[in-house]
Amino acid sequence: MTAVLAHRGALTGTAVALAAVLGLVAVGSEQALVIGLITGAGYGLVALGLVLIYKSSGVFNFAQGEFGTVAVYALWAAHTNGIPYVPAIALALLAALAMGLLTERVIIRPLFDAPRVTLLVATAGVSLLAIGVEIWLGEARLRFIQPALGRFDRVSVLGIKVSDQRMLILATLIILAVALALFFSRTNLGLAILAVSQEPVATELMGISVRRLSSLVWGLAAVLGGLGGVLTAGVVQNFGPSFITTSTLIPAFTAAVLGGMTSLPGAFVGGVVVGVVQAFAIDLGGEPVFADIPGPGTLSVFLLLIGVLAVRPQGLLGKAA
Amino acid sequence: MLRAVSSRLRNHGHGVPAATGGDGHAPADVVEVEVAPGTEAIVVEAAPLFSPSPGGWVARGLVWAAVALVVFVIPLLRDPVEANIYTQAVIYAIIGLSLNVLLGYTGQISLGHQAFVGIGAFTSAYMVTVHGQPFFAAVAVAMAVGALQALVLGAVSLRVTGLYFALVTLSYGLMAQDTLFNIQALTGGSAGQPAPKPAMFQSDYRYYYLCLAFLAAVIWVDWRLMKTKGGRALLALRENPRVAATFGTDVKVYTLMAFVVAGVFAGLGGALLAHNVTSVVLDQFSFQLALIFVLMTVVGGLRSRAGVIIGSAFFSIIDYLVFGKINLDGAINQIPGLPNLPGELAPIVIGPLLLLFTLTTHPGGIGQQIKPVQRWLKGGRFSLHGTGEAEVRVSDVRA
Repeated sequence: MTAVLAHRGALTGTAVALAAVLGLVAVGSEQALVIGLITGAGYGLVALGLVLIYKSSGVFNFAQGEFGTVAVYALWAAHTNGIPYVPAIALALLAALAMGLLTERVIIRPLFDAPRVTLLVATAGVSLLAIGVEIWLGEARLRFIQPALGRFDRVSVLGIKVSDQRMLILATLIILAVALALFFSRTNLGLAILAVSQEPVATELMGISVRRLSSLVWGLAAVLGGLGGVLTAGVVQNFGPSFITTSTLIPAFTAAVLGGMTSLPGAFVGGVVVGVVQAFAIDLGGEPVFADIPGPGTLSVFLLLIGVLAVRPQGLLGKAA
Repeated sequence: MLRAVSSRLRNHGHGVPAATGGDGHAPADVVEVEVAPGTEAIVVEAAPLFSPSPGGWVARGLVWAAVALVVFVIPLLRDPVEANIYTQAVIYAIIGLSLNVLLGYTGQISLGHQAFVGIGAFTSAYMVTVHGQPFFAAVAVAMAVGALQALVLGAVSLRVTGLYFALVTLSYGLMAQDTLFNIQALTGGSAGQPAPKPAMFQSDYRYYYLCLAFLAAVIWVDWRLMKTKGGRALLALRENPRVAATFGTDVKVYTLMAFVVAGVFAGLGGALLAHNVTSVVLDQFSFQLALIFVLMTVVGGLRSRAGVIIGSAFFSIIDYLVFGKINLDGAINQIPGLPNLPGELAPIVIGPLLLLFTLTTHPGGIGQQIKPVQRWLKGGRFSLHGTGEAEVRVSDVRA
């Protein structure tokens, strides 16, 4: 029964996405479509980390965006100090990993039995602390960062040029979504993580270390967040304190909710949908009729979130509750 | 109403109530039992009531006088700039109490409270500057607008609870920042809106007392709210909405009532904040501010009025207090390899550390720590026990 429902959910999701794509091409907004698709890939990448943590521990991790920002700062610091780009990215991911593990050890573990909203407040605290430290040590100004792949004239989609960096984000996202979906459905470790989220006590009794798995999940999510941050920063090329949190966290959460909060492919699809809706709204905001409405992008994401929660709270790819 | 000593209940093998309820003023071993007319009274054994000695009364009086001195007299002796900072502390206390209604009483978390406050600020400035309305009318409109938006958000919270509601409020806050506060005609865009102080209260000192009066009104409303049927209904709802509904508590009405109260407080706080600095700029209401509001309330101690007020005031003046007076940045400057920590960063660097410390080890916050002192000040015995440690938790927030 659930399989059928999930199947139907997937069909609905695909149908909605397809209809949106066709609609946008029909009204001549290929530009918004392509930009949205690629921006959405960045949202999807952050959403993957959110879903991963929600799936395994039922926590809304508001520090996920800061995993990304911290990684970007680490990349910037390493690269400006003469370390080549690829090793610098590795260092950046290590920084994110360290932050994730530290958060898990110092904050999440002592609050293991606390209700989920307490943990939400705690992760929001971690996020604010990270922002504070970024402003303190990194100054409240924008900094420049190079993309990993500099060329932008090689690939074109629907007649719109797409930079290599953006294609890299898209490819990374697809590979990670598939790999993680396989990890959770095929490997013992993945199944163990799911088991912990459903029945922590029973899982512990089966000889699985809940604590070790919790560390693993937070480390993994932090690395995903770091990767998302590093790649997104390469596209925007400018970053400042709280960069990923203010630009990406809410769209990523909306994407995760849209995808059903527990579905990894859902996070991917949700990210793309949010990206397209947002790009289309920004496109529309340029029209004279809507010129008086400031911040159309943020507004559209807010309305989308409200709409999804009102109409289909289990998300497009989520299982019916 | 009869007083029964719980040790009697224990002798009869009944369960012993763990604590005496939210206020914790009554000595821990006395339980109040309602006996319906016609039934036989179970036990009537008056607990020996503690009464302080004359010296004790004098000591308590002195402490009360000291508190009054700090609140009423000290700001008058400082220069106007400093009075302005004290005023901000009073306004933050109002905002903290507003958030306390949501977080502490209804168990709904708002991560978009900067939008609540900001809308109050912009409304009041708009009414005064664009429409030339008097200050008090503008504040009343700000409170009404605050109530209205809280009503809408409250309706959302009835459908979407817990983590998802937190997400909605966060998104709402960012949307307000990007969209609502940027509507040129209402907020003056990036230039902001002037918000002059009322004619009677032009001086910073007078305005301080005005805000203090508003805070007193807010405390009174909050206290009355919790003492009446509505307050008890809210407590029941927070414990378990389903059970409360089964016993005939109207979930919708009381949740919406709490949201409206929180919205009115937030609108008032915003309006006062705007006129305190005599202009409103949208940068004042950033996403970080919402997190600071949450952490000052949680660190203050949910459902502890005194705790929330102290916590809010502390976070409001932390940069001034710690860095202006104790000159901590001088000390941090001495640490090699670390840049100067400017005072305005204190809330977002030190604040979260306090929050995480509170959550992991002292969930009752400041309110929990000052409870023995509070009890002593009200004429009780000074005792560190029975502060209801298990009772106060952020955890009561519904998920």
